[in-house]
Amino acid sequence: MANRTQISTRNSALLAVIADEDTVTGFLLAGVGNVDLRRKTNYLIVDSKTTVKAIEDTFKDFTTREDIAIVLISQYIANMIRFLVDSYNKPVPAILEIPSKSHPYDPTHDSVLSRVKYLFSAESVASERR
Amino acid sequence: MEGQDQTRGDEAQQEKQKQEAEDENVLQFLDSADTFLTLMDSLSSTLRQGWLELASARHSMGASRISSALFDLKLHSAATSLQVTQHDVGSMVKRPHFTLHKWSFPDDETCCSEEAKFNEDKLQKNANSPQLRHRGTSQFSELLEKSPTSDGSSLKIDNQIQKERSKSLSMFGTLVSPKLRAAQLSFETALETLIVIANMRSSMISAFDQIQKEMEDIKQ
Repeated sequence: MANRTQISTRNSALLAVIADEDTVTGFLLAGVGNVDLRRKTNYLIVDSKTTVKAIEDTFKDFTTREDIAIVLISQYIANMIRFLVDSYNKPVPAILEIPSKSHPYDPTHDSVLSRVKYLFSAESVASERR
Repeated sequence: MEGQDQTRGDEAQQEKQKQEAEDENVLQFLDSADTFLTLMDSLSSTLRQGWLELASARHSMGASRISSALFDLKLHSAATSLQVTQHDVGSMVKRPHFTLHKWSFPDDETCCSEEAKFNEDKLQKNANSPQLRHRGTSQFSELLEKSPTSDGSSLKIDNQIQKERSKSLSMFGTLVSPKLRAAQLSFETALETLIVIANMRSSMISAFDQIQKEMEDIKQ
């Protein structure tokens, strides 16, 4: 992921949010909200009526937009599209899984931590070095 | 004979340097992972505080006054944005570095990058030694007061930040609950923490990739 590909410098890049209403409200209060000429926003409010397809499409859209540098996604929502999140491997935009009101953060489900967790096992590192 | 000894000495030196570089990568990985997890805990408690303040504001102002139906859907750009730069780890490895630009901060790269670096260092230190957060200001505003800029310019910047904050709050009406203002500050702090988390994540992935490459070289 952090590799030889060039990372272009971007100024005024956006932070996208895929989360429940309260989390999105909070981050909009902090000034991250953006609406472009086509009335496309950089956030998606996920509620009980939001379909998995809609979340997937929004995730794909946010991760392919040039103007977005970080995508915040509630971990319980990331779990709904886990395959898509885990298969994403570009350095930018960075995907950060955040807790929600009813679902605390679980490091074992985080896509980056689950990828690197085997390095925490002393046995696996020691055996490779012998 | 002496030549052979020198060659052996050079090889031993190279091997030692290689070992030190490998150890450095492992240390960087463990350090980044530890800071990442500590900051995620800090983020969780900041977000909890923000949600609680939002719920209190909703209770005092009424549920209909704080809802997604009131979000501004007219054309507007984000007041808080990010700068992404390339951080060269070695000759070949590059990773992104994120910097937060809050509330249409003046486009002074030196000012912003110094503030952001100062801010990031402070948050990383806080990750190791938790402190009570002063209410009424976000950590960023506190750092602004203590950062090495002149009093005049920091007052001007502070006024501009307050104006931007009020503009953001205005989508929920002119008179808003103090709890809503407090929620805004909490989410600003959460944003600052998230940018440091993003940089830690980037550092962790970079170190992990280096270690993986070393392990593959050992296997060969």
